Amino acid sequence: MNGMNVPFIGEVPSDIVVSWIVTILLGAALFWWLTTRRKWPLVWDYMTTTDNRKIGTMYILLSMVFFIRGGIDAMFIRTQLAIPENDFWVFQSQKYNEVFTTHGTVMIFFVSMPLLIGLMNIAVPLQLGANDLAFPYLNAISFWLFVAGGVIFNMAFFFNAAPNAGWTSYAPLATDTFTTGPNNNYYIFGLQVSGLGTIFTAINMIVTIFRLRAPGMKMTRMPLFSWATLITSFLIMIAFPVLTIALLLLMFDRIYGTSFFLGEYGDPVYWQHLFWIFGHPEVYILILPAFGIFSDVISTFSRKRVYGYTSMVVAIALIGLLGFMVWAHHMFTVGLGALANSIFAITTMLIAVPTGIKVFNWLFTMRKGVVRITTPMLFSLGFIPTFVIGGVTGVMLAVAAADYQYHDSYFVVAHFHYTMIGGTILGAFAGIYYWYPKMTGKMLDEKLGKWHFWLFIIGFHLTFMPQHFAGLNGMPRRVYTYTWEDGVFLLNFVSTIGAFLMGASMLFVAWNLYKTHRLTDPVGADPWDGRTLEWTVGSPAPEHPFQPVPQINSIDAYWYSKVERKRLPESEEARPSPIAIQTVAPVLLAGVLIVMSVGFIYGWVWMQIIGGIAALGFFIYRVFNDERKAVYRKEEES
Amino acid sequence: MNKRVLSFFVIAFLTGCQMRVLNPKSDTADTLTNLIYLSFGIMMLVLIVVFVLFVYFLRKFRERGKAKFNIPPDEKENKWLEITWTIVPVLLLAILAVPTVKATYDLTSKVSGSAGGSKGDAMIVEVVGQQYNWKFTYENGKESYDELVLPVDQEVQFRLTSNDVIHSFWIPNLSGKIDVLPGEMTKLSFEPREEGTYQGKCAEFCGAEHTLMRFETKVMSQQSFENWVQEE
Amino acid sequence: MKQTSEVLFNDKRLGFFLYLVVEAIMFATLFATYILYTPSSRGADPTEVYELRTVILTSVFLLSSSGTLLIAESGLENWNRLKIWIGLGTTFLLGSIFMGLEIHEFYKYWSEGYTLTMNNFLASFYVLVGLHASHVAFGLVWMILLMVQLKQTMPKSLFKEKHKIFNYYWHFVDVIWVLIILIVYAPYLF
Repeated sequence: MNGMNVPFIGEVPSDIVVSWIVTILLGAALFWWLTTRRKWPLVWDYMTTTDNRKIGTMYILLSMVFFIRGGIDAMFIRTQLAIPENDFWVFQSQKYNEVFTTHGTVMIFFVSMPLLIGLMNIAVPLQLGANDLAFPYLNAISFWLFVAGGVIFNMAFFFNAAPNAGWTSYAPLATDTFTTGPNNNYYIFGLQVSGLGTIFTAINMIVTIFRLRAPGMKMTRMPLFSWATLITSFLIMIAFPVLTIALLLLMFDRIYGTSFFLGEYGDPVYWQHLFWIFGHPEVYILILPAFGIFSDVISTFSRKRVYGYTSMVVAIALIGLLGFMVWAHHMFTVGLGALANSIFAITTMLIAVPTGIKVFNWLFTMRKGVVRITTPMLFSLGFIPTFVIGGVTGVMLAVAAADYQYHDSYFVVAHFHYTMIGGTILGAFAGIYYWYPKMTGKMLDEKLGKWHFWLFIIGFHLTFMPQHFAGLNGMPRRVYTYTWEDGVFLLNFVSTIGAFLMGASMLFVAWNLYKTHRLTDPVGADPWDGRTLEWTVGSPAPEHPFQPVPQINSIDAYWYSKVERKRLPESEEARPSPIAIQTVAPVLLAGVLIVMSVGFIYGWVWMQIIGGIAALGFFIYRVFNDERKAVYRKEEES
Repeated sequence: MNKRVLSFFVIAFLTGCQMRVLNPKSDTADTLTNLIYLSFGIMMLVLIVVFVLFVYFLRKFRERGKAKFNIPPDEKENKWLEITWTIVPVLLLAILAVPTVKATYDLTSKVSGSAGGSKGDAMIVEVVGQQYNWKFTYENGKESYDELVLPVDQEVQFRLTSNDVIHSFWIPNLSGKIDVLPGEMTKLSFEPREEGTYQGKCAEFCGAEHTLMRFETKVMSQQSFENWVQEE
Repeated sequence: MKQTSEVLFNDKRLGFFLYLVVEAIMFATLFATYILYTPSSRGADPTEVYELRTVILTSVFLLSSSGTLLIAESGLENWNRLKIWIGLGTTFLLGSIFMGLEIHEFYKYWSEGYTLTMNNFLASFYVLVGLHASHVAFGLVWMILLMVQLKQTMPKSLFKEKHKIFNYYWHFVDVIWVLIILIVYAPYLF
């Protein structure tokens, strides 16, 4: 049961053998389905596209695949912890450590971020009246770098070398002195490659928002999701380079024998500083776009403009700014001293103020409105109390001295799941149900959507509410078992039941997808009676949707034009659109980077060299194959 | 749903008297528990306000048959409301921040810092964390593994360091955590006031068997402690 | 309607400036690392490693290459191919000499026993200055590609666009070098 001997590879735990079999079967089934349904041309079309809607859809599709992976990890964790002194399958000791490490890393970097980036891709250009992102080619690169990062990171498990130092990868545990083997190299290169893609996306979004807005769409008339995207992109631009360098230094420690973060001469706490200077803005990178989605959804389904637009924008900006001043609250117990701890406690508490402003503005958007409870609205409504619970425990954690008790206990686990699931994941679901017509031209079934919501939210609270108390009863995080005397059995048992309820709710998503695509008819441009520009173009959104480009004269211009029963005026002075092409080069670049990363992960220098030369070759190829050449030439000839 | 969640929260919290963190047995742990209750109280206030508004607005303004095609009057914002929900949280946080900073200063000088903050007559125990056990060395040189023995009503100061990776020293009933770092010394002190056996744990993930890196803390009378520490 | 090439160039320029901000943050993190670990408690001290002569020589070549690039820039303004060739050519030459000196410097330190793993001062030195050097190397390849493109027939506006983006890059790399002189070398040489 616990393992099997595979020629050339050695002893392999049985869970990995099972995953090989499942992957082969699913892969064969997918291949068969694509072939018999003649879907390969469609696959090729998506692989070579630079269109924002298609790329966004692929982001979401792939994040859902990773969501299943991270979710299965969660099920293993909860099953192992269901009862005291449990011995479930292989998930003890290092195996358990691998599971929670991949669960955390996958959920943050390969589920939450790409889900939000996918929604940004689909909705932001449409909300602005832009025909695409500013750099369609770069956007394809970003996506395929994310794919490459995801493949690298997930490969680890299949080769029995999953990272095992936690998603925070604390040194010196994560250095080669204490965790040998390729495991944590996978972590470094998976994040490095996908992180680069994220940085490019951020640049793309900023340029799009600054320069591609429709005439008359002033910054102060932008929907809040676009605003949130703008601020988030700045956070990414500032936070991710720090992670890049932290990973680079860790790579030198692991591969080239330096000792930046190692015991005697290095400084393990420096890793924590670098990681959290990235890591804390990262959690706002995950939550701000969700805030934006909720603002748009709540406003649409209350049939009212969002309450306190200005203070909403200021609040997002303030949260973003304060997000850079609070990183050390993850390090209250390392002994930074009373002054540092007090300062970081206060800055952390301050974040509650702009967050509170947003909560009250959402509530007052509903007041005096006509609140229609659709599935996206239901997710937004579920978000408010859930996130507020996560928020207040956040303030409790900010109390530096009290954090000496909460720190690294299940209380913290409960807190950040309340914010990450209660905020980011509920937001992503709301966004997916809301913009699904823009992605596919169809509308997800409302009844199944509500089933999904209720099972998910009840399962969620069942899972994570008890964990607060498990933490207060002294249960540290990242332990693979506990004793009867610990007195946390019932809490954990309830938690496990909740987790399976959440898992079950995802079956309704699968059913919903099947039902929607087999049985329902396409919908029109504006199925939700929306307010913003994305609802003026067809469903699914065509490439180059705004022809002609509308002239914008107010916030929620589309809504007010509907109220006045007029059409949006057409603009005479639209700017030229970015150039879309069909190209397979980004896919090839992803392949090259996977090869190069594997070379580094296993220390195969020949492979590093091949990968490096191929990557350079890509640049040269790109220089001579610029889609602008034809366009500029035409312009010069005329 | 919210009522359900809320009542669950309250009931579970009332039974919390048995929870180790909320059942302090030392001066340090007392301070922490009081802070936890204070912050919990203030935060409950916020939570209740939000929940009440949420339920009220949702019930009152939910779309009903007739209102379906109503277009509600346009409203932007109210300056005074915005100011209210900016100022009130700031005030609440200020109320919380004062004891926070005070406790942080009181305890952190004990936790690290060169002076140590102890009154001078504290008993010193040196702690070494290593994968995956704890070594305690007492003033007379006696060593024990995974078993910490302390006299009641006597302030004790720990000087902690690690032989390998980062660990974290935690006895939920007696004090908060302090990280145990390689190549550095951190400090922590408290005065246990009740005899008994308390769980101690490593709270910082430290490798394969992090889970098993636990120790037992026995707080006993001064006399029994003297006997124990003099043995062998 | 505005000129497509002009609008798209402005998009690209903004995007590239943002990318340079990203690069600047990466270098800033490495500078912080260097400051944190230098000097180290064991192993070589920077004062015994650095040589004033090498630093001055490398600086002269790299900083003047920013100046010669200005010739190419002025050639771009009124499309003077000769000026572009001269500007690019000399910049490439100066950059290559810098690269050669840099490789020599690393090689010399290394052969004197000042290796990457000796201590954290040297580790952060090699990572920081090495990252800069790899930027210069990348810039050299970029210049070769620009020269090839200049020989090809391509729309003038596109060549200008590509050349200008390169100019921003090269000047940025130079600014980083100035910071390296000020932060890495100067405190231990004077």
